[in-house]
Amino acid sequence: MRNSGAVLILIFIVKLISQAAGVSAPGKPKLTSCRSPEKETFTCWWEPGEDGGLPTTYALYYHLENSETVYECPDYKTAGNNSCFFNKNDTSLWVNYNITVVATNALGKNISEPVEVDVAYIVQPNTPENVTAVVVDEDQGPFVRVSWEKPRTADTRSGWITLLYQLRVKQQKDKEWEEYNAGMQKYYNVFSLHPDTEFMVQVRCKPDHGFWSEWTQTTYIKMPDYIPRQRSLWIIITIFSVFIVLILTWTLNVKRNSVKLCLLPPVPGPKIKGFDKQLLKSGKTEEVFNSLVIQGFPPTIDYDDLLVEYLEVYDNEEQELVLDGKDLSEDCIKSKSPSDCDSGRGSCDSRTLLLEKCMVGRKGSGSDQHQYSQHGETSWASTESSECQGLEPGSPESSDGRVKTWPVVFSSPQPHHHYQAETVKPVYHSVPEILNHSSPHIMPTNYHHLHHQDIPQQEGRHGKPACRHSQSYNHFNLDGLNTPAPGVSPSRSLEYVEVQRVNPENMLLLRPLSDPNREPEGSDYAGEDYSKVKEVTSNNILLLRRDTSHHCVDDYSQASQCTTQQPPHPCKPVIYQSNSGMPQEGMRVMGNGYVDSTVLMPSY
Amino acid sequence: FGLSLPAVAVLLVALLCLDPHGRVGSAPICAHGPSGCHIPSLADLFDRVIQHSARMHSLSNDLHSEFEQYFLPSKNHIGKIYRKCHTSNILTPNGKDNAQKLAREELTEVILKLLMAWRDPLFQLHQSMAHQQDFNSFSSNKALEMGDMAHELRKGVEKVAEKMRVLGMLGNSVTGLSAAEAMLPLSDSGEAMSDYELLYCFRRDSNKVQNYLKILKCRIVPEHDC
Repeated sequence: MRNSGAVLILIFIVKLISQAAGVSAPGKPKLTSCRSPEKETFTCWWEPGEDGGLPTTYALYYHLENSETVYECPDYKTAGNNSCFFNKNDTSLWVNYNITVVATNALGKNISEPVEVDVAYIVQPNTPENVTAVVVDEDQGPFVRVSWEKPRTADTRSGWITLLYQLRVKQQKDKEWEEYNAGMQKYYNVFSLHPDTEFMVQVRCKPDHGFWSEWTQTTYIKMPDYIPRQRSLWIIITIFSVFIVLILTWTLNVKRNSVKLCLLPPVPGPKIKGFDKQLLKSGKTEEVFNSLVIQGFPPTIDYDDLLVEYLEVYDNEEQELVLDGKDLSEDCIKSKSPSDCDSGRGSCDSRTLLLEKCMVGRKGSGSDQHQYSQHGETSWASTESSECQGLEPGSPESSDGRVKTWPVVFSSPQPHHHYQAETVKPVYHSVPEILNHSSPHIMPTNYHHLHHQDIPQQEGRHGKPACRHSQSYNHFNLDGLNTPAPGVSPSRSLEYVEVQRVNPENMLLLRPLSDPNREPEGSDYAGEDYSKVKEVTSNNILLLRRDTSHHCVDDYSQASQCTTQQPPHPCKPVIYQSNSGMPQEGMRVMGNGYVDSTVLMPSY
Repeated sequence: FGLSLPAVAVLLVALLCLDPHGRVGSAPICAHGPSGCHIPSLADLFDRVIQHSARMHSLSNDLHSEFEQYFLPSKNHIGKIYRKCHTSNILTPNGKDNAQKLAREELTEVILKLLMAWRDPLFQLHQSMAHQQDFNSFSSNKALEMGDMAHELRKGVEKVAEKMRVLGMLGNSVTGLSAAEAMLPLSDSGEAMSDYELLYCFRRDSNKVQNYLKILKCRIVPEHDC
């Protein structure tokens, strides 16, 4: 009792001391693998654990299945460190070995986990031997024949072990190997290798149930430079193509007619409706071509109808430009159709307009009017007044007090004659005046009179129709604005007018072009309303072109060209009339190509 | 006479059937000797048999690993539960030298004994696998196929032995052929073995059979593949 107690205490003290000294029992070893190279012997390897700081010995113990007899490893040396080699006598197949490794040192021992091993299933042969590769030259081209021998230890002769072989080939630069299975044979022919390159070859083997061996050392083989003569391939290709050619020829022969039709199509005969071949042959060309004439071509369009929006101009010889007395009103009345408010014949539809003008005119300074009168335009004012008076009672439309534009119409006599001939004429005319004293947009305060002097001449010569004012006679003062017209001089002076806009009632709102007070925004308007001179025809007719929208402007006599254009590009009829005395001045072109003519701006 | 044609035909047929000499017998296909058809040589027979046994062994290997993978995850657990195989009392060579020391007749006998011992257990194995829900039909089909293969292999080896005896390679001391009895797969304690144990044992025994056949072949017909 005392002894055992003393022993225990001693052990305890030793342990404490050893722990203080840093030594301990060994760590647990571990069996890593067991392998048999030929199914007759086998070897097991283990991995030692920590040795605990003290010299440790390892021992392997095993026992067979269903037997309790424990044996120790017969051979620790042959297979190297930490291994156990079982020789033939100690190896039994189809029997389970239960193997453990024990590590022992001064302080204790440690036992590994047991491992069950059946030798029949742990076979891993050695590598094949004597791998040789030779280049064999054949008709089809050279190939490589790789041959080898079985590993020395494996006994395949007695059939105890059956080995399957595998080889792999690659070029030096390739990443991937190309593998071939050779089965049980000990040679292999590798075809289709690249010429003039060096190849690497390796071989390995495996038993029918077991593990693959390691790859052999690399064997190098160099393929010679050769040109692949694939004769057989060419022969096949030739035969095939000949065959195809024969077939094609035969097919073409059979389908002779349709091929001819395809390659040389017949020239089609004439297929004109109404065309009589016989008649042509007989030589009566007149009759032949008569039948081709299509009635109604080219289509004649009534251009006049397209210009309905324009104001009508009446070229009435008897009518004076200057509104004398009451003629104007009468003429105006005459010329207008009472119910036609939208026809653009607003110039004559202008009782109210006249009225307005009268009103406005009266408001203006008297000086201008005097000026007019100086030019012999006294009738203007008087006309106006008369007009106004005449109109006043019967102008319901003036009630709103809005200023309406007074379209002044004039045009060259000839075209007007022409148009006079037809009753309903779309008309365009320039609207020189701008008067819209109620409109905020209207800035200009100028008066403008154009061609004061010329008017009477013109009148004398051309006999302006009624309802026409000379272009220069827009002389209305804006409400409250009494600035003198710049450039207005007793002598001939020209003012340029731009049509500012057309209000919904088909009235043109004009504005003098050279207005220095014009606001910048007016330039926008200017841009819309000005038209560039396109050309001047022989009749002293200006062809204007709308600047911004690239409208084509054509003179009236050539209306056909323009009117056939698309609606977005309407023609703006030229209104300018000029005679020999006028043209140069009348066509005073401004710097930017604008003409001082009055241009009708239809409001689209 | 008054007999119609059908009646006459019937009579003729009846006569033929009754005639003892009119019995139809099966004539061998190769009645005209070796030139008439190709009689497989012993080497060919051996090859066929060995291929058959290889196939059988791979089937058993597959089933065993399937079992191990799905039903018995712990390796240590496996090692501890298996019992002695019912064929362990058949003395089989457990090494190359031992196998080579055995005479051909004994070797053949061992093979046949092994195959015979597994006839009924394989059938039982298939039955129990088919009834259990755990196995999929694939596995139970494999078990069935395995059993059939073992049966055919036995027949094949018997034929080979017959051929060898005809050729004079086998002595007359082969008594095991007739004396091989079916053995019940009972362990020591008398209990029936579990499916896993059966698979484990059969995998080993099929490996033995394949190996023995190869040795036998290379001993008897060593021309090729040896």
